[in-house]
Amino acid sequence: MDKKQQEGFDALTDLWQQGQEAFLRAQSEIAEQFNRSLKDMGGGHSSRNDPMAAWNDLIKAWTPFWNPASSGGFATTTPDFDFRYGQNGFFELLDPQKWTRYAPEQLRLMLEKIAKGPQFADLVMPQQGAAEAWRETLDYQQAASEMSQVMQNAWVQAYRSFTENYSLEDLQSGNVDEALQGWLKSANEALLETQGSDEFLEAQKQMIRASTEIRARQKDMAESWSEAWQMPTRTEVDDLTLMVYQLRRELREVKRELANLKGNAK
Amino acid sequence: MMPPSRTPNGGRFNEVDTALEAWSIAMRQLFETGKKAVRSGGFLAEISNEDVQIAEAEYETVFEVDKVRLFHYLPTEKTNSKIPPVVICYGLFGRQTMIDLQEDRSLVRNLLAAGIDVYVVDWGNPTRADQFLNFDDYVDYYLGSCMEHVVAANGGKPVNMFGICEGGTFAVMLAAMRPEMFAGLAIAITPVDFHGDSENFWLGEGFLNSWINNLDENDIDLLVETYGMLPGAMTGAIFAALTPINSMTKYNLGIANLDGDKDAMLNFLRMEKWIADRPDHPAELARQWLNGLYRENKLVKGEFVISGKPVNLKKISCPVLNIYALQDHIIPISCSKALGDFLKPSQYEEIGFPGGHVGVFVSRKAQGVVAGGLIEWLQKDHAKTGTKSTPKRKSSKTNGKK
Repeated sequence: MDKKQQEGFDALTDLWQQGQEAFLRAQSEIAEQFNRSLKDMGGGHSSRNDPMAAWNDLIKAWTPFWNPASSGGFATTTPDFDFRYGQNGFFELLDPQKWTRYAPEQLRLMLEKIAKGPQFADLVMPQQGAAEAWRETLDYQQAASEMSQVMQNAWVQAYRSFTENYSLEDLQSGNVDEALQGWLKSANEALLETQGSDEFLEAQKQMIRASTEIRARQKDMAESWSEAWQMPTRTEVDDLTLMVYQLRRELREVKRELANLKGNAK
Repeated sequence: MMPPSRTPNGGRFNEVDTALEAWSIAMRQLFETGKKAVRSGGFLAEISNEDVQIAEAEYETVFEVDKVRLFHYLPTEKTNSKIPPVVICYGLFGRQTMIDLQEDRSLVRNLLAAGIDVYVVDWGNPTRADQFLNFDDYVDYYLGSCMEHVVAANGGKPVNMFGICEGGTFAVMLAAMRPEMFAGLAIAITPVDFHGDSENFWLGEGFLNSWINNLDENDIDLLVETYGMLPGAMTGAIFAALTPINSMTKYNLGIANLDGDKDAMLNFLRMEKWIADRPDHPAELARQWLNGLYRENKLVKGEFVISGKPVNLKKISCPVLNIYALQDHIIPISCSKALGDFLKPSQYEEIGFPGGHVGVFVSRKAQGVVAGGLIEWLQKDHAKTGTKSTPKRKSSKTNGKK
């Protein structure tokens, strides 16, 4: 390495070191700030070791007049985060399935970036597989949600059709059998119309794709497990099956040829 | 049933009286439905799975190759030697037990009673170990071997084949590839043109066609490769989705309406037993069925290849009877009738059955229209032409031997 190269390398190392120090300083400042906040909560009790207690302390510090156990508050506006039962509310925050739906596109972009990042030959990069699996889960959630919306519209249409075709007098007659048949007829027509619609076809396609991708991912995971435990993988068994199949076909052909030869010889 | 708007002496009911009367009518109806449900529930509580038997006609297994077996049904009447035997071929979307669901609704028993010699192909239960089996295997090898066996048993003379649903497509293909083995070909509820007249499908018709066509080739590939099969449970769920309200109400309202009637309940349970027994499709067979036929419609284009050769439907030389169901929501009529376009008018006949896909075999009406029509067709002179010996295919000697 000549002198010029050495200087360049040193400069690069300095820059990297400075970056690391700046990053660590920033972390320590955040940690200190967080620590101060916890102390301000009247700490010194179980919250240091018990995340649930810390959570309750945090709520008390921020909203001293709000009782997490009472109804109302967040519960009425964010039905998926049920803060009425404080402990559940806390753990739901830790469950990606509960919150990823609120920012699926942003999250998907992040995951794609990780999944499609460059590969390095000598580095194990489990995060790429995990990101793919997560993205597939998001896809499935979205597909299921869209399919659910399409079918919900079908039921709304069924209800609308029923109320148009059956007057209040019909319903007030007390003839529930006739009303039931009418409802089933309306529902059947609405569902069939929906199942032939472009919206349904698109939602169905996405559902099939997403669920099959998840299934394929499960297969990959099972293969990893099989390999780890010195067991034959699905792929290996399939490869053997293909070999046996091809051999049997060849044997069949040979037998046919033999029969032909015998037939010609007679 | 509207509540009366006037009292017996001509005075008007007040609103409370009308409401009470309506409530009374509603409660009576609900109570009646409740009683029916209780009676049906009582029947179900008493019955066990063993009490529900299907496919009880007697047969013996006369030929086996891999998991495929060929049954020869024992005659119940003197066999009419002028009519060549019939080989019945069902598909893999259901089991061949459909044709002998119960004693009084059995195609097999109707044929036997008419003195016709009956063979039936049983595909067995393919597993993931069979995932690479394809149309070469099912049509050319398995079905071809079964036919060779029956032709040999018939003194080397051609025989009849009756193909049903997917099995009808298999039969059509084999008849085009090996016409020398066929005295006659009958098919029922069979897709040939997999796109059909999609512009004119009625509401609920052709969903299967449009749903599969909506997928890409890669979707199908990933599906069958991931599962290694097309699972029977999956196809069952798809069939159930084709008739959504019927599927949602059959175990509640449907059962209640049977009112505990023994015969009706047993009919229902036999059908349930048949539906529950749905084999898986090997992956390669499913891939060709879904991509090559449903999506790309290769059969009617003359592009579907079996054992290295394209299947040419115009090569079918025997008389053909095509039975389709006018209210078939699974196989549109236009998909079945398309076979006629490839045949001479003199060799082709049709029966349009006024019913649905499965009703072709299990409804009471079908016993006369379908079974009766098939028997009449088999008894005609043209289906008795199996008098000349069938030239053996050069390579057929060892086909199908275990």
